[in-house]
Amino acid sequence: MRIFQMQRYSAIALLFFLTIHMIVVHYPPFHIDFDRILERMDNPLWKLIDILFLFAVLVHALTGSYMVLTDVERFNRIKRVLAGAAIVLGLWAMYYGTMTILAFSPPT
Amino acid sequence: MYRSTGFISFFLRRLTGVALVIYLFMHMWVIGSVNQGPGVFDSRLNMVQTPFFKLAEVALLAAVVYHAFDGIRLLIIHYTGITDNRRSMFYAVFAIAALLTVAGGVPILLFMFE
Amino acid sequence: MFDFLSFGKTPEMIKKRKTAFVRVQRFNPDEDEKPYIQEFEVPMTPETTVLDALQYVKTELDGSLTFRKSCRHAICGSCAMNVNGSNDLVCHRNLPESLDKTGVVTIKPLPYLPVIKDLVVDRTSFWEQYKRVKPWLVPPEDAPEKEFRVSPEEVAAINSAETCIMCGACYSSCQVIAMGKDYIGPHALLKSFLRVMDPRDTIPGERLDISGGEDGAYRCHTIFNCIDACPKNLNPTEAIETLRKLAQRRIAFEEERAERQKTLTEAAD
Repeated sequence: MRIFQMQRYSAIALLFFLTIHMIVVHYPPFHIDFDRILERMDNPLWKLIDILFLFAVLVHALTGSYMVLTDVERFNRIKRVLAGAAIVLGLWAMYYGTMTILAFSPPT
Repeated sequence: MYRSTGFISFFLRRLTGVALVIYLFMHMWVIGSVNQGPGVFDSRLNMVQTPFFKLAEVALLAAVVYHAFDGIRLLIIHYTGITDNRRSMFYAVFAIAALLTVAGGVPILLFMFE
Repeated sequence: MFDFLSFGKTPEMIKKRKTAFVRVQRFNPDEDEKPYIQEFEVPMTPETTVLDALQYVKTELDGSLTFRKSCRHAICGSCAMNVNGSNDLVCHRNLPESLDKTGVVTIKPLPYLPVIKDLVVDRTSFWEQYKRVKPWLVPPEDAPEKEFRVSPEEVAAINSAETCIMCGACYSSCQVIAMGKDYIGPHALLKSFLRVMDPRDTIPGERLDISGGEDGAYRCHTIFNCIDACPKNLNPTEAIETLRKLAQRRIAFEEERAERQKTLTEAAD
């Protein structure tokens, strides 16, 4: 039940964040302007939005993968192992992603 | 195999979901290298600027759009309890996803040949 | 997949046919390594059902054909089988309407369940999951002398769920069941819904623990196969959505139920 709710609420958050992400990063559509990204990432508000986006996407991806696997009877027997693996992977990816966003700087 | 429109929809949802999880970690791997110096970043970025990855980008767009609108369909069913129009809702999701993929995919492919 | 397009329409050429070709999946565990399809030619009239055809094969053509049937009136739930890829009760399935252009109908046992012989499947998991949801009513201890006063609205909410005949058509069409037998299944969740929504029931919280638990309503992926398969036109998906919502507000729902039961035995004014 809790996993299902995490999945659902992160899905609603993603609808919001992904729309922003698509518009801001990919519009105008013909090229990705690196300087523009850097300019935007200077703003702490954008860093916060990106960190929240990262959190939502990781929750959605890992609960989704967990549910895909535990629907199969064989994997359902080791669901504690899978849940542990998902938490470890999630924490690591969250750390790595947050560090990337916070330290986002031009490759000089 | 018990075939039905619902099964196709469910199968695509899972398929695109798994594909997007794989993409997510690849995306983090590429963008995350920005702090390891310009050499690493440029080499990884050039790796994904090939025509093959441009086509994969269209597939990615299709996956995102389909997964998102299928999710919206599920949210509508969950919060309103509509089950009578299930078939038209399946087809609506397929149609919207196809339309948006074409609308977004053509610019990506045009940019590739510039 | 697109057979709903021709649903309810019988082409003239099929109506004129005097015989039908019935393809049946055969499997005898003592002799066969894997199931195979056998074809029989069966006479028919516009009123012939698929069950009539099977019965004709058994009495006239091949006595070793094995299938379950009992009442022939779509109420016992014995004869659920897979006809042309969709689950249905063969006793109320019209044969001419089930034929394709060449006059062929394909009958297989219910999918995703172990085959015992020919068209008979092992329904152990079906009944095991049914037991898990405690399908019986647990009424208040002080039963009234005459009757419980249940409002028409409360009856209307659960009325349709009561007509389930436990045929297994929904269970064996469910994609989640196909992937693993841990899931409680649409049949048992529909029954759980019936008991949870019943104002006379005293243990809705306990029921929601089971049907809203790990193996319950949250494992449903809204594929709608159960609605399409149900020969009684019931709606297990909607029942499952209701159980999900109730499980999220379990405590409040239990309190509402306790409050409701105080007035359950009062006589109408």
